[in-house]
Amino acid sequence: MVKVGFYQGCCFQGQDAHMFETMKEMFKRIDVDVVLLEETTCCGGNTIDEENRKLSYAINARNIALAEREGLDMLVSCNTCYMVIAKAKRALDTNKKLRDEINELLKEEGLEYKGTSRIYHLLDFFRDVVGYEKIKQAVKRPLKGWKVVAYYGCHVLYPKEIAVDNSDNPSSLQEILKALGAEVIDDYEGKDACCGYHSFFTDKSMTLKKLNRILGGVKKVGADIVATPCPLCFKSFDIYQTNMENPPRVPSSFLPEIMAYAFGIDKDKSGLSHHLIKVEKE
Amino acid sequence: METAILQVFRYDPEKDQAPYYKEYEVPVEGTLLNALLYIKDNLDPTLAFRAFCRSEVCGSCSMKVNGKTKLACKTPMKELVETWKGKPLRIEPLNHMKVIKDLVVDIDKPIEKMKTLIPWLVPDPRVVPTDPMHESIIYPEEMEAYKDQIHCMLCFSCYSACEAVADNERYRGPFAFSKAYRFQVDRRDIETAKEKRIRYAISGGLWSCVQCQKCIHVCPKGVRPAEDIQNLRGQAVKKGFTDKPGAKKLKHFVDWIYATGQINRLYLPEEVYGNKEAREKLTKAYTEMGVEVWEVPKPTKGLMKFRDIYLEILSKEDKALDLDYSHVRKIDKMVSDIFKADICTIVDKAHEEGRSSRGLISKLKGLLGGQ
Repeated sequence: MVKVGFYQGCCFQGQDAHMFETMKEMFKRIDVDVVLLEETTCCGGNTIDEENRKLSYAINARNIALAEREGLDMLVSCNTCYMVIAKAKRALDTNKKLRDEINELLKEEGLEYKGTSRIYHLLDFFRDVVGYEKIKQAVKRPLKGWKVVAYYGCHVLYPKEIAVDNSDNPSSLQEILKALGAEVIDDYEGKDACCGYHSFFTDKSMTLKKLNRILGGVKKVGADIVATPCPLCFKSFDIYQTNMENPPRVPSSFLPEIMAYAFGIDKDKSGLSHHLIKVEKE
Repeated sequence: METAILQVFRYDPEKDQAPYYKEYEVPVEGTLLNALLYIKDNLDPTLAFRAFCRSEVCGSCSMKVNGKTKLACKTPMKELVETWKGKPLRIEPLNHMKVIKDLVVDIDKPIEKMKTLIPWLVPDPRVVPTDPMHESIIYPEEMEAYKDQIHCMLCFSCYSACEAVADNERYRGPFAFSKAYRFQVDRRDIETAKEKRIRYAISGGLWSCVQCQKCIHVCPKGVRPAEDIQNLRGQAVKKGFTDKPGAKKLKHFVDWIYATGQINRLYLPEEVYGNKEAREKLTKAYTEMGVEVWEVPKPTKGLMKFRDIYLEILSKEDKALDLDYSHVRKIDKMVSDIFKADICTIVDKAHEEGRSSRGLISKLKGLLGGQ
């Protein structure tokens, strides 16, 4: 049993609190014990950086320090949380002055950033720690006949210093989906486009154009569903898609949901039945 | 000798009806630019591309390989063959610019766009001596603020890879914002010019950037436009340009994270767009699905100390007044109205009861006597 600290961010609390339970149950099937890092806060969503970068570094030094206190590596599911935390870690590891200054503040809570915990995203955790073979063995309900589009999202591939896969030609997501027994489609118009999530509250028209690009491309290749390891990309596809003028009504899935379903967890518990755009495929 | 197939985009608007691709077999040796020069010298002298310094200084040889922006003189052929696992390499001109011939594009448009952001120094006479015999000293510590931005060599890699340029014609381009930012943090530049740059940046799409990070990724010189754009957004808000949705989003993040340790996605639509319906719609949808709706995030253990750290950093950076304390008090009140307890009590209770998050909020309300 591998034990890892799970960083929840904003995506596994509130309305999405049930997602952590899906995640925990899914990980149990592949012998991973995910421990919720309860005292962590929002990573700042790459928005606090607009206010002040040092504040973003401090928040995330605290988040990482909480994993270090437990002696655990940190697993992050959200692409943006992953990028923001990984960038903070790089800054803290390479800038002693910054680290010392922030540690001075963390002292108050009895915390210290040491740089001992590794930060994983779902994709490299599945590839490097769990292994594709183990995923394959856990499958109870192979996704036979499911045509699944692999959508990575930006913040696991860019910028290169924090990328978890080959940024230009990544393969981990396809490998995971293949292990689930799905037919994987990784070449479609709009596959490199941003999901538009982050511009919904800065320039909404941009989000809708992005969705049009990606989901239009997905529709054209006749896929059943889009699978993404990022809960924000998923929200853009599932929730913001309903804001489009003529929504193509393309169903989507957050990767752990579709994995849970393939591992034999039912549709309700896997979260697949909680989507605004229904997943009809059985 | 190991070879690779390049499928090169060919188009001469004066002769060709439409673009086409021509295949060339080239040695896997040196850089992509070496391969293109090999074609020109040995296989086809009609191929047009820009290249000059061959050493990552002039920024002329930027192009796309299988859709990904690369500076040809910086990209080893071996790396390309490994990345694409022996697949043919499709070489194309940059995006978002008119093709003049083959791989040569017209860069006038992005240059014109850049100029609208005043990418030059407007000297402040109080700082810069008007007498040319006097030096205008810049100290190394000052240079720190823009030491990367000055390396931009106008290769347009970021402009080609940019997600905002792709869907907003007016968007000035990542490099243009970096060029502008470089003067925003220059002590010698006059305040009125800084104000103007922000105004022009906003009308040039400052809030349209999607923060995909591709510009940082593709820049051959280590410039980080997406981060400069974040800095410019921060400056815009600080200078009082707070009417744009993006500025309101930033305020939501700054205040809610301080107050609760989390943002509140349920309230974002009304705090940014004044759209109350969205919250009602989402609440209804979640309730129908049997998902518990949390009006406020679960307050994090250690919240008060977290607030301390947060405020301390803001104070040190001279930004403590950026927190809207009346908004924070409203959030506190909202939390205590829901739970009928003050935030410290809720934090403790939430932590005691918080092992399972399913049904947590109603459990807490029950325990504390809330609605």
